[in-house]
Amino acid sequence: MEALGFRDDTADRAAVAGQNTLQLIAFSIGEQTYGVEITTVREIRAWNGATPLPNTREYVRGVINLRGTIVPIFDLRARFGDGQTSATKNHVVVVMSVGDKWVGILVDAVSDILTVSKDEIHAVPEGNSIDTELLNGIVTHESRMVGLIDLHAVVSGAKMDA
Amino acid sequence: MSDLDDFKATYFDECSELLTELEEQFATIEGGDQSSERLNAVFRAIHSIKGGAGAFGFSGLVGFAHAYETLLDKVREGQVRLSPDVTALCIRANDIVADFVAAARAGTELPGEYGADEKARFDALCAGEDDDGGEPMEEFDIEFVPVMVDLDKGAGEEGPADPAGLDAFAAAPLAADGEHWEIRFRPHSELYARANDPLLLFRELATLGELSVRAVFEPIPLLADFEPFGVYCAWEMTLASPTATETAIREAFEFVEGNCDLEVVQLSAAPVTVAEPEALSLLAAVEPIAARLADRMPEPPALELPDEAEAPLPSFSDLADTIKSAAPARQPFIPIRSEPMTPRAPVAEAPAAAPDAEAERRNGVQSIRVDLDKVDRVVNMVGELVITQSMLTQQMDDTLRQKYQELVRGLEVLAQTTRGLQDSVMAIRAQPVKSVFSRMPRLVRELATKTGKKIRLETIGENTEIDKTVIEQLSDPLTHMIRNSADHGIELPEKRLAAGKTETGVIRLSAEQAGGNILIVVEDDGAGINREKVMQVARQRGVVAADQQLTDEQIDQLIFAPGFSTAEAVSDISGRGVGMDVVLSNIKKIGGSVHVRSWAGRGTRMTLRLPLTLAVLDVMLVRVSQNPYVVPLSSIVETMQCSRASFERVPSGGKVLQVRGEYVQVIDLCDRFEMATSVDEKNRFVVLCEAEGSVKVALVVDDIIGQQQVVIKSLEENFESIEGIAGGTILGDGNVALIVDVQGLKTAKLRRAAA
Repeated sequence: MEALGFRDDTADRAAVAGQNTLQLIAFSIGEQTYGVEITTVREIRAWNGATPLPNTREYVRGVINLRGTIVPIFDLRARFGDGQTSATKNHVVVVMSVGDKWVGILVDAVSDILTVSKDEIHAVPEGNSIDTELLNGIVTHESRMVGLIDLHAVVSGAKMDA
Repeated sequence: MSDLDDFKATYFDECSELLTELEEQFATIEGGDQSSERLNAVFRAIHSIKGGAGAFGFSGLVGFAHAYETLLDKVREGQVRLSPDVTALCIRANDIVADFVAAARAGTELPGEYGADEKARFDALCAGEDDDGGEPMEEFDIEFVPVMVDLDKGAGEEGPADPAGLDAFAAAPLAADGEHWEIRFRPHSELYARANDPLLLFRELATLGELSVRAVFEPIPLLADFEPFGVYCAWEMTLASPTATETAIREAFEFVEGNCDLEVVQLSAAPVTVAEPEALSLLAAVEPIAARLADRMPEPPALELPDEAEAPLPSFSDLADTIKSAAPARQPFIPIRSEPMTPRAPVAEAPAAAPDAEAERRNGVQSIRVDLDKVDRVVNMVGELVITQSMLTQQMDDTLRQKYQELVRGLEVLAQTTRGLQDSVMAIRAQPVKSVFSRMPRLVRELATKTGKKIRLETIGENTEIDKTVIEQLSDPLTHMIRNSADHGIELPEKRLAAGKTETGVIRLSAEQAGGNILIVVEDDGAGINREKVMQVARQRGVVAADQQLTDEQIDQLIFAPGFSTAEAVSDISGRGVGMDVVLSNIKKIGGSVHVRSWAGRGTRMTLRLPLTLAVLDVMLVRVSQNPYVVPLSSIVETMQCSRASFERVPSGGKVLQVRGEYVQVIDLCDRFEMATSVDEKNRFVVLCEAEGSVKVALVVDDIIGQQQVVIKSLEENFESIEGIAGGTILGDGNVALIVDVQGLKTAKLRRAAA
């Protein structure tokens, strides 16, 4: 199948990682790398279309059927204000749990699993409010910046105001 | 503390079940069946309610239930005749018990005098048979046992509650040189499972007098057959006490009642009266014991405790002989029922009695309590399984079929099994409509009292099963319909007599399955709908235009119009102008329909047609800008091609559709959902739907694909609700289709227009 199960080995890896470290799933949008905490990721699957939801924001790509549950898909590129991703089969949906809900985010590719120390998390520079709103922090991996996505912020405010 | 709350919740669940059972039992009793099983079932129910209430300290409930139980016991004993009056009192008492339970559940207190009248009547009824001028029962923590001691009259006596009376009572007519009681006690394994300790019981007994205990071991089986939790030991006790009464002895065993075989025999010479039939059945029960005891006699005395020998008492076999020889005469023998529910004395090892008792204990259907969420999860998974299975089947083309015959066969079996599984899972959610119907008799009684009418409720087909979610939605509409029948349908007794009908009006409530639907019918034999008055009111309220003519059937349906009521005075039962339209909207909400028919002077029949389940929805699949949407079939009136529809423009720029002289608001789903359409206007379709309150809406869609059944999925579970969308569903190809919320679309549109 197109979905890669991550659930089983993630638990082990998380256990191996110490208390002060954080494991991230890193994915890319264009040239930039972002990450989410591995424990929130439920599943990674290829983009296979979604049923659009009427009267929602541009970055809500629609809903998919995830083994009988309806899961909304958020287009991360569109959420960052760069317009909708023209998604193909090569694009990837990362399904995560945010609170008690499951959501998918559409990204260009999943690149790596990173282990970083919690001490290495930098604050997001003040400036554009979008950055501070959508990112929890920044870590450096192989001298490149990885933005930590604030999932709650990404999925909130999805409905259009009537 | 949360543990206690859990227990409480379970107790209240059980109470509502027991109250339902009471209602049923009395319905049968009212019908003339006064068999002992009925009375026992009633007694058992009240006893259980009382027991739990005692544990949680609901003293009001305990007090009332106790008095009620006392009466029931007398009735069961045949000392109080179950006359229609008494039956009515009992039914009233059921309602009061229900009120007490409801109050306890809500954590409120009923006024202290609540149910006092009924309680007084119980006491009066009980006392009526008591020669001793029985004291009203004030205490309630004692167990009720028939203690037959009255020498002359043969009337049974209730154990007096206060110990003083008890002493006096026991001392009076009985042998002065001390009473001897032989007690046989054989615990069941449940007794131990409930953490009871026989030693404590013996200590309790020892406080009554001089007690000697002998253990009776049963042969221990071979290790292979040995049950670790089995019971292989019973006890025989001899109690020498001048003051002990059977009540007192039995009280010691109160908490293990039902978990043991208990037999108490008085060994005094004084003849004690036993009600005749009981003596006979008792004799039958005792004979096998006598035989067995006789067998047992040669057993080595090593099994007996040392202090056994001190009182040379008549043995059981002697006793049995005495009984046999004196059979026709009255016996010096008192049976004690091991639990109140068994009508006969189930004697320790009497083979015939045991299965009976067992059967009675389990006369309810065996069931487990399962959280509805868990069942829903299973229903969902099975839905997925069915979809996956159909996907697999679709994948099989002819070449594959040729090549992999075994696989094909396997898939066919899988298809059958999944279908079977789906049916069984749906059956789990299905529940008899009884749970709703059983609330109605009380309603009818209250209505009858309030209106001064005489009404009898007949229920038919209460075992018809419907999906639980449908049942939950059924209670309000049924209440309204029955209120309507009682208030507007059934006439006052004088009127009925004048019209040549019986004084008592009948409301018949029935349920039956008809294909994929359930029909629920509420019928009354009252006056029928007064069509003239309905029309008059309808014209007054502007529901119908002054010059409009309606057929009889159309007039009948008017009673479901919002804000419609013909009751001349607003009564506190029905007639506030809400109600019947609530019935319609509630029923529509669950995909059902209501139909009413009336015959002047002969009655009214209201028929509810309901879907068997809500888990599966019949829908029409449509396409809106390449995306699949589904519209619930129950809301669709008709469909037509746009080329044949006559649209008109209105100043706002919107469109209206003229259909059979009506102008209907048009909602183009592509516009509404802000999607582009590539389909030519002529080739699009109009789906005419009915929203709440019979308001029609015309939806314009790109294409109509077909009808199918779908499983409803929530969008809110992982997202949030969207205006105009009622939820999602998963199609056979695995894609998600959205369910159009017709009512939501309409109100959203109105709101926008207003803003």
